Amino acid sequence: MEFPYYPLNDFGPAMKGMVIGGLGIFHVFLAQFAIGGGMLMCYFQWLSQTGREPAAREALDGYFKFLVLVSFVAGALTGVAMWFTTIQISPRTIGMMVEEFHWIWATEWTFFCLEVAAGYAYYRCGGGLADRARMTLLALYSLAAWFSLFWINGILSWQLTPGGWTPAGSVWAGFFNPSFWPSLFYRTFAAMSIAALVACVVVNAHPRLSLGERDALIHRAAHFLIPMALMPVLGLWYLYAIPPDSRAWALGGSAAMTLFTGVAAGASLFVGLYALIGLNLQRVTINGATATLLCGLAFVATGGGEFVREGVRKPYTVRGALFSNSIAPSEVAELRRVGSVTRDPYPLRHPQAYPNDQVRLGAKVFRFLCGVCHTMDGANGLVHLAGTWTLEQLRLNIAKLQLTKPFMPPFAGTADELEALVQLISWTRAGRPEDWPLSNEVPTIVQIDRWLQEAGIHPASQREGKR
Amino acid sequence: MSAPFPLGFPAPTAFYLSFYVLTLLIHVMFMSYVLAGTGYLVAVHFLPGGFAGSRHRAPLAEILRDWMPFALSGAITAGVAPLLFVQILYQRAFYTANILLFHRWMAILPVLIAGFYLLYLLKIRWVTEGPPARGGFIALAAWLCFGFTGYSWTENHLLSLQPAAWPVFFGADSLFFWTGALLPRLGLWAAGTIPVMALLLGWQFRLTYEGTPYVPPYEIRRLALVALAGLLLSALAGVGYGSFLSPAAREFVQGAAGEPYLGLALIGWLIQAAIWLTVWKRASLRPGLLGAASLGAFLSVLGMTVLREGVRITSLPAGRLYALHERASQVGGLPVFLFFLVLNAALVGWCIVLARKAKSSPGPGEDLRDLLDRR
Repeated sequence: MEFPYYPLNDFGPAMKGMVIGGLGIFHVFLAQFAIGGGMLMCYFQWLSQTGREPAAREALDGYFKFLVLVSFVAGALTGVAMWFTTIQISPRTIGMMVEEFHWIWATEWTFFCLEVAAGYAYYRCGGGLADRARMTLLALYSLAAWFSLFWINGILSWQLTPGGWTPAGSVWAGFFNPSFWPSLFYRTFAAMSIAALVACVVVNAHPRLSLGERDALIHRAAHFLIPMALMPVLGLWYLYAIPPDSRAWALGGSAAMTLFTGVAAGASLFVGLYALIGLNLQRVTINGATATLLCGLAFVATGGGEFVREGVRKPYTVRGALFSNSIAPSEVAELRRVGSVTRDPYPLRHPQAYPNDQVRLGAKVFRFLCGVCHTMDGANGLVHLAGTWTLEQLRLNIAKLQLTKPFMPPFAGTADELEALVQLISWTRAGRPEDWPLSNEVPTIVQIDRWLQEAGIHPASQREGKR
Repeated sequence: MSAPFPLGFPAPTAFYLSFYVLTLLIHVMFMSYVLAGTGYLVAVHFLPGGFAGSRHRAPLAEILRDWMPFALSGAITAGVAPLLFVQILYQRAFYTANILLFHRWMAILPVLIAGFYLLYLLKIRWVTEGPPARGGFIALAAWLCFGFTGYSWTENHLLSLQPAAWPVFFGADSLFFWTGALLPRLGLWAAGTIPVMALLLGWQFRLTYEGTPYVPPYEIRRLALVALAGLLLSALAGVGYGSFLSPAAREFVQGAAGEPYLGLALIGWLIQAAIWLTVWKRASLRPGLLGAASLGAFLSVLGMTVLREGVRITSLPAGRLYALHERASQVGGLPVFLFFLVLNAALVGWCIVLARKAKSSPGPGEDLRDLLDRR
């Protein structure tokens, strides 16, 4: 077996997931703004051309310029950044996704082209076009933006719920997976909500609209917040569609996941209640500051939701196909036999910083098996997580990692490598002294090996399934 | 390899290579406009007598300023497809080079965002009606952003071709990858963007000023000189880069697979040189001349793009690559892609038709100007 080793960078005290998570949340928010924005502009154009809201045209043009400045620039580039960042963090994951779904991505690209063409045609010439042509361009823009969501949603939801997909099977079995539809509807309504809230900010900031016009347009935009009432149902549908272990982590099994689920739900609830009761039923108005605050809450809700979506995939990046550390389940046995880093061609950076070869080996094992989610003593640091454990506890808990924490993958190295990792943690915990004794007693290694065998090579969810 | 590119490769490899080259050509068109166009803007702002605030005295600069954000948007969007296919074609090499260059590589993203906003800034009244140096420095900053991106791509590309250097580079914790081929290769591509930009700008100029009573001849002559300078520089850089090619790459370029494309590139170069000389002499941008220059540019860019890929694929372990392409070719979705490619291309065409029906499209620089100036 030839394992595809990649060089793995150290992100310092920042956890790699924080980098891609932060960027992902920002990009998703911008992308959803663009998608919902397209729909909202169609609505405003319709209001304007039917004479229902004459000021809608003025607001629409201002909104579109804002959208171009934000979405066409930062939105487009953060989309590319997502690819590059994923390559930095998990090249095997993005490689598998590209390999499996490249024609879906290529299809999405054709919609990007349409989105840019329709958007710029409207942006440059919309002012001189008849209403019908304006509406056509906006509808094409909106359709293209929504379809880009349609395609990427299939790929992202496949990561958590591959459904009937198998590596040699149909791509469509993976694309139309169990969480595809709830996720698509949920994101569509989220996009509409974000667009409406941004519209409230833009309308308030528009210098050429009177107070009355602003008020009327804000209440029109608030219609786009009404579908939020369905989001709890869609959320429950989504939770029902995801695997039971993932669902359990979001609903109490993992403190962090549960907390973020609560944050997402709570922030959405606040926005939803304000929108439904305040804006739509009571017809209260909203100023720029409040609209900005609601946008902030929507951002928090998006962030919480994306964090949970990424988090509940653990211990996989592609469920059943690739663990978080980019090792395929079928590769664990072989790596336990020959060693996870034995054939890793990439040397340790600054090897002289470590006291002996065993700790150096531990550092390579950490880089390969743990580094994608953990730091040594920064965010999600091993020293913080396992700092109070005794040596025996460290050995046992890491050897039986998937049983210690069910969202962890099985340890995919030899007993010697595990002991090297234990020594690295202990040495770091001790303040990185210059001298550190070797730990190579045969009974210790034999015991670790026994624990590894007891734990097996399958993740906790599969073990539970077998019972 | 005894057949012209891509016929000598296994069918899946040839298939993906063809898609890659075709989509890269579209990207190169937009990218050339942005990189060389910002360079042109820097020059007209700083060179003596080059800048004049009125549209009649500097129409080329006005067109460039006006269309530059769209061109960058087009470059990024058009770049997505080749970025996708490169991951199928050279997955491991491409990913490894990305990871090895780490911060340096990732820096292109904020730099591009900064460059993008600088292009918008170039359009506002504070800049267009301010002193030339103000616009010049903003254009220079934007050009540096795009130049840095081009430099980073070249560095990334060259690093990806040298698997033996990867562990050493990683262990050394280096920020920059240096090889003798870097500057001539960068020079080849950077200089090559100039005639492509000149051609696109020539078409825009022709379409924008067609039928107007006064077309300034010095603008046309200057454009021709810029294109000729680009052609000359690209030829010099091409010769320089050729001297750094590995024996395997040289064999590809001079063999049955690459030689026809080298010929196409040279013929295209000669056509362009002849046309731009004629344009310079006659100070005319007749459609016939521009059409011939377009053919020449297409042949040159196609030839050079194919040679680029031939050099790359012969530098990497073929067996592993072919196996990946074979595996990738078996996944579904191609008919759906082709259907939407045709449909969306037609819809893009419809958008252009609709836009051309506009009673009065905003003049160069007028669109965002109002919005930004009010802020």
